[in-house]
Amino acid sequence: MRPSSYYRLHSLLIASLAMTFAGCADSLQPSKIGSYALKQDTVQSIPPRIYVANESTNDVSVIDATTFQPVGTIPSLNHSTHDLAVSRDGRRLYASNLASGRVSVIDTVKRETIASIYTGDRCHVVALSNDDSQLWVANIGENTISIIDTKTFRILGTIPVGKGPTGLTFSHDGRFAFVSGQGDKTVGVVDTASHQIVKSIPVGANPHFMVVARDGHVWGVNTGQNDVYVLDPETHEKVGSFVVGDKPQQIAFAYKGTTGPLAYVTVGSLNKVIGLAGDPKELKIVDEIAVGEGPNGIWSNQEGTRLFVAHDKGNEIRVIDTGTGQTIATVPVGRKPIRVVVSR
Amino acid sequence: MTLGHVSATTTILSLSLSLTLTLPVHAQNAPVGNATNAIGELVIVRTDGVQQRLQGKGNVPLYEGDVVKTDSSSQAMIEFVDGVTVALNENTSFKLLSRWEKDMPVVRILRLKQGEVWAKTNGGPKRFEVETPVATAAVKETEFNLKVQDDGQSILTVIEGVVSFGTPFGTCPIRTDTISYGVRGKKCTKPAAADAKAAKSWTEALRSPAK
Repeated sequence: MRPSSYYRLHSLLIASLAMTFAGCADSLQPSKIGSYALKQDTVQSIPPRIYVANESTNDVSVIDATTFQPVGTIPSLNHSTHDLAVSRDGRRLYASNLASGRVSVIDTVKRETIASIYTGDRCHVVALSNDDSQLWVANIGENTISIIDTKTFRILGTIPVGKGPTGLTFSHDGRFAFVSGQGDKTVGVVDTASHQIVKSIPVGANPHFMVVARDGHVWGVNTGQNDVYVLDPETHEKVGSFVVGDKPQQIAFAYKGTTGPLAYVTVGSLNKVIGLAGDPKELKIVDEIAVGEGPNGIWSNQEGTRLFVAHDKGNEIRVIDTGTGQTIATVPVGRKPIRVVVSR
Repeated sequence: MTLGHVSATTTILSLSLSLTLTLPVHAQNAPVGNATNAIGELVIVRTDGVQQRLQGKGNVPLYEGDVVKTDSSSQAMIEFVDGVTVALNENTSFKLLSRWEKDMPVVRILRLKQGEVWAKTNGGPKRFEVETPVATAAVKETEFNLKVQDDGQSILTVIEGVVSFGTPFGTCPIRTDTISYGVRGKKCTKPAAADAKAAKSWTEALRSPAK
């Protein structure tokens, strides 16, 4: 046998053995829950898109994140489309639908809803686990978090949480999930290894939206007392708060020139976006940007130089240059846009 | 046809298409199954809160979103239109749900809040799942028994076939004559040998033919 033939045969044998044992492992071991499988030859990059959840038109507007031109609209096939989460590769978008109690799974390449999953009464916010393998969904009407396997779309578990869960985010290391509870005026800290609430942090009246900053601090808004608060990622203590005005909505992080990152908060009653900076214990306003009617959802680009602001009364998205505070594009979307997210 | 007609036709077509696209995909006016037998009483709670009850043999239609429940002295049997038979033991409650996926048959889902169910598929592969607070059992062709304890722990016994038993920490195939436990915060346990026939003994009175 020639050496090349020998090596080819040897390789084939090893490959066969590997496949055999892989099959055994699949059949005997619990299969790992992973993100949806994609054939390598079909993977292509998708240009960054802005996605907007329109609550009163039950759909998602799609906008090119580079040219700010509308690309299309995706019906959610459900009612009261509210929150969005986009996968890291940009190929899947998950939308909560308050009135239906269902999550719509959207194929962003085909721009269509491909699945509808009932999670619970008044499902409100959605958050992807750090590896995109699970989607956590807060159900206000049932005081629970549903856990969806993003590969099979099955609900694999339900976690009882505090009253009226309305905000949800994961720590940078994925060890904890933070759930704000309107009824309890607290943020529950869920250990993602045990699915137990390990701490309940009093934060104020009507805690709602939550997000994790790049430094790991957890930021949230209290719609009942018009302020934002900051939680320490290590101690899980509230370390700061700041009153921003009536109807604080959502938060995104971006730079104003060399300053930042600032926490930009949409304030519905003021028709403004307010930029906060400084030590969480001594926050101060360092930027104020006048926007349109009813600013609600907000997101920043990767570089932190643009803000995308959804206006739930003006039914539009404004793209803001944070360096100058100027609106550089206005894009009409569906009725009552609540949430905006941007793929990478 | 005038331009006006074309325009009107186009508008009607657009409206029709728009309405089609925004229609809910989950029609709630077609029964998904029937409650066919109750020892004691089966209570059916509709999505609008209206209640209906079955005592003895009958044929009460069930719809998406209904909650069915038995008390401490009741058992019941349900036949789904897609060929799945489910029995409820005492103190059992579940909600009838479904999952829609493009180009696929609807997945019938029971969200088991408490109690014990026995389920058997008939007439070929099905898309059927039972969700508990800590795990989900997904089947195609099988017969199994699933019990939820007060703390959410879920006990699956497979009588025949294979059940894919998953928690948020992993999924494993559970086969004929084996048992597995689903616990909050953990993978389902490795399958262990079990007396599967004993697991369904509580259904005998329900499944016996009418006298």
